[in-house]
Amino acid sequence: MNGKQVQKFVLSYIEATGCHVVEKSPNHVTVKLSPAADRVLTNRPFYWGFVDRCGVQPETMTYTWIFEKAPVPEVGVPSSPLSSVVMAGGRVAREEVYFGSRRLVQLFDAVRQSGRNVTMFEEPPRGQRDPLGSQAYTAWLGVNFKVGYECDMKREEWYSWGISLATGVMDENFLERLKEKKLTPRLPSNVHLLRNGLSMRKGMAQLEHALERKLKASDFIWAVEAENRRQEERNRINQYYGPMLERSIDNNEQKEALSVRLKQREEEIDWQYSPRVAVSVINCGIFHFPGID
Amino acid sequence: MRFSHYLPAGMPSGVPAATDQATGTKDTPSSIVEDETQLSSTPSSTGEPAPRLIHPLVELRFDRTVFEEMERRIERNGPWDDWTMYRLALEAEEANLVGDFHELQCTRLLPSFTPLPHQIETARRVLHEMRGRAILADEVGLGKTIEAGLILKEYWVRGLVRKVLILVPASLVLQWVRELGNKFDLPAVPQKKEYSWASDIVVASMDTAKREPHRQLLLDNEYDMVIVDEAHKLKNKRTGNYRFVTELRKKYCLLLTATPVQNDLSELYNLITLLKPGQLGAEGDFTANHVADRRVAKNEVKLQENLGQVMIRNRRSDGGVEFTRRFVTNVPLSLSDEEMALYNGVTDYVRQHVKAENGDIASMLSLVTLQREVCSSRDAVFLTLVNLFKKTPEDSPLRARIWELVELIKNIKANTKAEKTIELIQTMDDNKAIVFTEYRQTQNYLLRFFKEHGIQAVPYRGGMNRGKKDWMMDLFRRRAQVLVATEAGGEGINLQFCHNIINFDLPWNPMRVEQRIGRVHRLGQTEDVKIYNLCTIGTIEEHIVHLLHEKINMFEMVIGELDDIVQKIDKEEPWERRLAKMVLESADGEDLRRRLDGLADTVLKQRDQTHRETTE
Repeated sequence: MNGKQVQKFVLSYIEATGCHVVEKSPNHVTVKLSPAADRVLTNRPFYWGFVDRCGVQPETMTYTWIFEKAPVPEVGVPSSPLSSVVMAGGRVAREEVYFGSRRLVQLFDAVRQSGRNVTMFEEPPRGQRDPLGSQAYTAWLGVNFKVGYECDMKREEWYSWGISLATGVMDENFLERLKEKKLTPRLPSNVHLLRNGLSMRKGMAQLEHALERKLKASDFIWAVEAENRRQEERNRINQYYGPMLERSIDNNEQKEALSVRLKQREEEIDWQYSPRVAVSVINCGIFHFPGID
Repeated sequence: MRFSHYLPAGMPSGVPAATDQATGTKDTPSSIVEDETQLSSTPSSTGEPAPRLIHPLVELRFDRTVFEEMERRIERNGPWDDWTMYRLALEAEEANLVGDFHELQCTRLLPSFTPLPHQIETARRVLHEMRGRAILADEVGLGKTIEAGLILKEYWVRGLVRKVLILVPASLVLQWVRELGNKFDLPAVPQKKEYSWASDIVVASMDTAKREPHRQLLLDNEYDMVIVDEAHKLKNKRTGNYRFVTELRKKYCLLLTATPVQNDLSELYNLITLLKPGQLGAEGDFTANHVADRRVAKNEVKLQENLGQVMIRNRRSDGGVEFTRRFVTNVPLSLSDEEMALYNGVTDYVRQHVKAENGDIASMLSLVTLQREVCSSRDAVFLTLVNLFKKTPEDSPLRARIWELVELIKNIKANTKAEKTIELIQTMDDNKAIVFTEYRQTQNYLLRFFKEHGIQAVPYRGGMNRGKKDWMMDLFRRRAQVLVATEAGGEGINLQFCHNIINFDLPWNPMRVEQRIGRVHRLGQTEDVKIYNLCTIGTIEEHIVHLLHEKINMFEMVIGELDDIVQKIDKEEPWERRLAKMVLESADGEDLRRRLDGLADTVLKQRDQTHRETTE
């Protein structure tokens, strides 16, 4: 993420959480957090506990987030990422927000937490429509998968797939399909939903099967290499402990101790090298589109 | 059922998910999961179904937690998340996606500082060649902590490491926490209370960790990564430390040490066995193949090759690292008449006594210590003399001799060296200096002396606890003008913000001198470093300074060179004992100088040899 992307991301977050933008320039924004954002970002559980129990008007924090290393000219000089200035509205903390900064990591976590499941409807086209007619909508299950190829190293991919719950048709570019559409969380008027042919679970199972087929066809050279490393390590410790175990054949106590260590080391090696693929769901939603497909 | 004919053949008509919610059936998701058995692999509702193979070697696991959450929300008809958040979450994942097995991710995540090329290269090798189990043995001041931080960060970013245990000397705990926090943005916590162990990244002192009840708690746990700083303390496999680290269940493991362990092959063997048992073959094989003598390696090339697979040692002489310059000044001093009288008295006593001891090395060494203490301060020698007096039998004629010496101490009113030190400090550009001494009594005296002269000074010594050490460092940085440190202060503290060192007295071992300087002259030092050696004329100190500075020229030698040379000489006989013997056995100053020059020649010869080896 470059500076511009970070800025766009942060501004989207500010807007989505209903924060109040006090001041804005090409490379910074001063924002008074909404109560919802304040709860997530400021780490003040005791304050919010107090507000909740006593029902007082909450006073949220104000931040100046700087997206470039250059200081903002109009207000003082920001010396460190944690400095703050006092403005008319009280204390304003100044922070540099860049890819890798603590604040951005926190924002990432926040959106992951609060962007997990949605239900969306495509807005019907404007224009002449029969006020008494009803448009049929099909439900799609859209899932964003993250695939991790792991051994002692790791690589990740992500897939945005969708399946029509009416017909079982799949779309491997579901995100592209979503991008073309205008979506709303509210059920539009004069619209009815088709009966689902597939249950949610079954739709998910089919997506998983399809994904598995795709992953099966991928290149597993990395796993073969990892397995070789694992075997090599296993051989090495066997060569090391083997003769020692033989020599301690009369000494049960010593033998016991050696086998325990050998076993522990074997487990460590498997843990470190065993190749595995882990698929997780980043987020998923139900999307209703007009038409039947 | 108007649209049921659109269903593909054979598709059972499931319960409509999104539409029938208003009726609010049950609380469990089981009502919608009528065909649960059709889900890929016997899932439970925990999101952790049993794994299956996707390739003969590779397990496949699905984590459906987020999907199952959606099922529950469908059941209750919401609440649904915000669409923008949904897209941002995807964007966040995309930005953090690790697209490649090899490319270092951590470097693009560290805008607040830029690691040096050799540090990145080290991290890369540990990750890709050593697979996360390595000994980092860089010379002092090249940034082992940074390298370890880079490796940890990389695994952290890739999600391969979550539980981390970092074992360090007590004095370094907070420094590690700060370094990982500030430079790497890693949430490390110092171990303070029992519950601290539950944190993801815990920095603890080895001494705490190996004690019950902590020990058992840690052994019952599993650590994705264990880092041990000052790992040369693990060289003996019979110690509790060694057994403890062996028994810890760990995936990746980094051992950090600045002391080159090659000097004792069995120690090196133990350290590597801790990391990768069998790397150097079975113990018997190793001895047969590589060990000619305890300290002399056989098959050097093969050994180096094997070592190279688990150990990285960067040297300053490798270049690529820019250091500021060092200026060394010897400050010759003449002792006052009273001080000289004491020195001569002690010297006479030592000479007479040596004959009586008949070559008992231990007591000979302590006698030489007396001489060295006189050169430092009367306070240092006073305590030793009093102790000696107490130990001597009451009827011994030596008692009277010792008491005479104590009487001599009483005559001394001023400390020539201390006065000179103040003079030096006042001429310094920023008035900040570290004064190193070998003796605790001298340290106390200096602190008093500075206070009397209106100079703010703080002490630093090995016996202080973690918090106090940190506090002293902080005071020195912010307020005090002088830090008075004993030798123990030499290990593991970073004082780059200061660039003046006064060696109030010199350790005899050049390695220890280098360690002192290494506290200040390291990465991050922006100024040229000035080193002052106080040296009393006509004493053994003069000879030592002559040996270290003028003959060996250690202060300007490439660091690291010295490590190896002194280690090699140490093999035959420990350096300090060798010096002490020379001092005692020589007839006069002339003779001593000749002998020391001989030693210096050995060192220089060794160095030339190393040079030839490396250039060949």
